[in-house]
Amino acid sequence: MRHKTRIRLGRMILLLLVQLLVLNHLHLFGYATPLIIGYMIICFETNVSRMSLLWWGFSMGMLYDIFSNTMGMAAASCTLLAMMKPYILKIFMPRDIVESFKPTIQNMGVSRYIWYSLSCMGLLHFSFYFLEAFSLEDLLLTIGAMIGGTIMATLISVCVEYIVHNRKEERAVGK
Amino acid sequence: MQNLIDFIVKYKYWFVFFLMEGFCLALLFRFNNYQGSVFFTTANSMVGGIYSAIGGVTSYVGLGKANKQLEAENELLRSEIHEMKRVLAANRIDTIQFEGLKRSRYHFVGAQVINVTTNHSHNLLTLDKGTKDGIKPEMGVVCSSGVVGIVYLTSEHYSIVMPIINMKSRISCQLKEHLSFGTVEWQFGSAEYAYMTGVPLHIKAAKNEVVETSGHSDIFPSGIPIGKVESFGQSSDGMSQSLKVHLAVDFTTIRNVSVITNYDHAEKKQLEFVADSLMNID
Repeated sequence: MRHKTRIRLGRMILLLLVQLLVLNHLHLFGYATPLIIGYMIICFETNVSRMSLLWWGFSMGMLYDIFSNTMGMAAASCTLLAMMKPYILKIFMPRDIVESFKPTIQNMGVSRYIWYSLSCMGLLHFSFYFLEAFSLEDLLLTIGAMIGGTIMATLISVCVEYIVHNRKEERAVGK
Repeated sequence: MQNLIDFIVKYKYWFVFFLMEGFCLALLFRFNNYQGSVFFTTANSMVGGIYSAIGGVTSYVGLGKANKQLEAENELLRSEIHEMKRVLAANRIDTIQFEGLKRSRYHFVGAQVINVTTNHSHNLLTLDKGTKDGIKPEMGVVCSSGVVGIVYLTSEHYSIVMPIINMKSRISCQLKEHLSFGTVEWQFGSAEYAYMTGVPLHIKAAKNEVVETSGHSDIFPSGIPIGKVESFGQSSDGMSQSLKVHLAVDFTTIRNVSVITNYDHAEKKQLEFVADSLMNID
């Protein structure tokens, strides 16, 4: 458990750094910024209690907010995602699984994983950009940022999945 | 109870979730000016709406009190009116007498001078009232300072007055102190002066003595000022005096005048007519 916690902590810091140092400077079409911090919440297995999931999501969003000066926005969004993630995963994961299920691209299949990731990222970006705009003016701009960010973040998460798990497979093969 | 506790324990993550979201939103509104301003203005408009609704209700409820206040105010005003009526009644007698006097003798129609000439030999004055207002020829016209002239012609809405400063004008007058009768005539020249002719030579009029209407004519009642004696002279035939009179009315600035419409001389005329006819019989 401590090992797992350390891995999660490491993943969180890595994602945060990537987000803050690289992706925050990326403005697709001038306004769409992908939030890869949601990827950490997506990765949680099903046997993690909802309580700890909430805390992880909340602290992830909070850290991002502190560093990117968007107090409360990402925290609220990540908490929402952490709350909704089990329900979304239930739709896309195979039904007959009893023990812990890890939502990876291999476990779920490419199309299912993409849909899963897209839904989660959509929720995250929707809530984040809605809180940022906080009005219905410039609705098209807000929706554009939501969609652009969602697609970008989904692509990145899929790529990361491929890279991470290919490496794991290679390592497994090498052993 | 147990079920409730079970329920809370089972779904405690929902409570934690809402707590966290509330905390996040609090942070959002606290640390982000834009979101904070939007939220608080919305909240304020809502609060304002609630307050105005409450105000509507309380004002309706308070109508009874307002009614009582108004009643008290009415009472006060009524008593004041009563008091004033009482004071007015106490001071009424003089007014009644004056009004009665006025009504029995004269009735005035106020008029405005809309045209006046002063530099001709036969000057005329136009008023903005005519037969519709009861003005007829040969009525006297006065203003606040004295005699103006006699109505000469009338139309429906206008009338023309022959003022003192017309060479054809003849107005019977008297010296106020000496009670000596004469006639005021005007000679072409200054509009400020006229001449009182027919004053017997033995009358020693004083300078500034008031010349007023005599009441002999059927036009003016007696005692209306015409002017003041300025200087003394003799008439052309040498049989009487001719006094230069400074007119009381300034015809260059005349504006508001009154026409005496009911100087009641019909009775007098009739009496004189009867007397004349009796004389003729003799």
